Amino acid sequence: MAAVSRAALAALAVLAGGCGNVSGFGGSVPPLAAVHVQVTGDFASVQAPGPAAPKLAAALVWGAQWLTEPLCVVPTSDAQVQALIAAGCRDPFGFVPDRVAVNAPLGPDGTAELDLLDLPAADVMVGGVTARVAYASVVVYDDRDGDGTLTLGRSSRLGGLDNARPDDTGVQTSDVVYAASFASMTAPDVRLAYREGGFDRTAAFYPRAGCGDPLPRFSIVSAGGFSAMAAVAAELSGQLPPEDPASCQEQPADAPVTLAYRAPAPLHELACQERTLDSSIRYREPDAPIDLTRRSAACAPVPDFGTGQAAGMIQWVVSGRSDDSCVGLTHYVLRGCSNDPLCQPPEWDITKTPPSWWPCAAQASR
Amino acid sequence: MPRVLRSFAEMAGLTRAKDFPTSGHNDRTMWRTAGLLALCAASPARALADDAGTLLTDDTWNYRSAGHLAVDGGLVVGFPAALPTGLSVGAGAGVTVGDALTWGARASWVTATESSLPWTVTQSDLRLRVTGGLQAHPGRGTIGLRLGLGGTMVHETRLRNQGMRAGLTGSELETSAFALLPAADLEAVVALHIAGPWLLTTSGGPSLDIHDGALHGGWTAELGVAWQP
Repeated sequence: MAAVSRAALAALAVLAGGCGNVSGFGGSVPPLAAVHVQVTGDFASVQAPGPAAPKLAAALVWGAQWLTEPLCVVPTSDAQVQALIAAGCRDPFGFVPDRVAVNAPLGPDGTAELDLLDLPAADVMVGGVTARVAYASVVVYDDRDGDGTLTLGRSSRLGGLDNARPDDTGVQTSDVVYAASFASMTAPDVRLAYREGGFDRTAAFYPRAGCGDPLPRFSIVSAGGFSAMAAVAAELSGQLPPEDPASCQEQPADAPVTLAYRAPAPLHELACQERTLDSSIRYREPDAPIDLTRRSAACAPVPDFGTGQAAGMIQWVVSGRSDDSCVGLTHYVLRGCSNDPLCQPPEWDITKTPPSWWPCAAQASR
Repeated sequence: MPRVLRSFAEMAGLTRAKDFPTSGHNDRTMWRTAGLLALCAASPARALADDAGTLLTDDTWNYRSAGHLAVDGGLVVGFPAALPTGLSVGAGAGVTVGDALTWGARASWVTATESSLPWTVTQSDLRLRVTGGLQAHPGRGTIGLRLGLGGTMVHETRLRNQGMRAGLTGSELETSAFALLPAADLEAVVALHIAGPWLLTTSGGPSLDIHDGALHGGWTAELGVAWQP
């Protein structure tokens, strides 16, 4: 009887205190994928002078689908245009960031773990709902603004008379990128892929022609890169530039991503977004004279890819300032529309009365 | 286009025509009749026997309230026992013994599914209570206050949102757990004698349980029928 009473008392005590381990919405959240990052090399040898001790961190950045503008890729012998391209064009084959997915501080041993708690949103995935893919680059940066995330900048753009557009100062970023697993398609790269459904091998979204398909869902894929000449040749023949199959790898997402410190100058565009994801160019009607301090400018033909539509039309192109975070170009034409210099009828046509400071050759009105 | 009818007689004639389609009004009448028949079937068989062939008599809505035992059941809604938000819905039943002072036992099962960014959580609560209360019987009604003490057995299933698309499996994708929480309810009870031994009952009030060492307040309500022989 005493034993029964003790058991009853014990049961009552358990009941009074409650037991079990339901969590509701609380508790730790398991990541959907974890990327293990290892940085190698000597940071001190590439460190850029800064106002404070570096706060190194790793970030996973989903890539955007973006095409460079024709002026940046059409070969030219004009030295002024070449200087303009150098000052205002980003690498045509470079990785263009769209969104920072996750950040983590870099440990003293150069390691970091990037826990992905969300899948990439549909707007960073390319393809239909039955076959789409997203690619991300692992970036190591100095978090100079101390906001705990890689701040993506945006190029500035000058204003124009059309619709009284004011200058767009863009977004300046002080964060400095020191390493990236995927910086350009013309160099070996390692990237995180997220694939849903099938894989479209003909898609030109950071293509890896000749390599295997990314594994379903998350995977770490790598390729050896192709040359710019090979890319142009492939483009002219309607193909994707081929990768060396020996340089390709498709591994599970828990495979470590190893990257090396590099001088920050060639990597600064990895912290720069593009303004329009449809890669369209915006043209301006010239207004007042422009202060060209720390800028490059050149007169260049409006590219029409041999169709003859441009009929010798000239554009005046001005780069951003040399101390801007991100490179960019502003295009001025005497006749045209904001999204097409060859439009009919044009939104403006001042070919007969160009501004007195217009630096390019006069052109016939149409 | 239908033509304009000129008189009530013309309309009545049309409704008597052989090819006039059955209207929704006739369906509703049929359902009303079926409902009345169901209520009459639930009333004492004696009522029908006395007035054979009559659906409603003076005795149809008579009720008995001599019994000190009532068994009830119905739809239960309330606040989940261990979730910070949501509405649990389910069914419950209970037995009550006594007249002015009552005691009894109740059980109910309710479930709720709610989501946060990373989780979709489903919790099923099995509430078991021993009850005691006070009640009065004004007219056809019964009004009372009922205190229930006992435990709530919570079964929880957590599904990691987007986990399936990301290829998670096992406990990374879905977990389940049990908990037994001490709990108490205080309910106002209103019952109305309808016919014979049958009552329409409703009850509701605050509830309390202890979860992770902290008091967790909520509420519960029930709408149902009772049988009092």
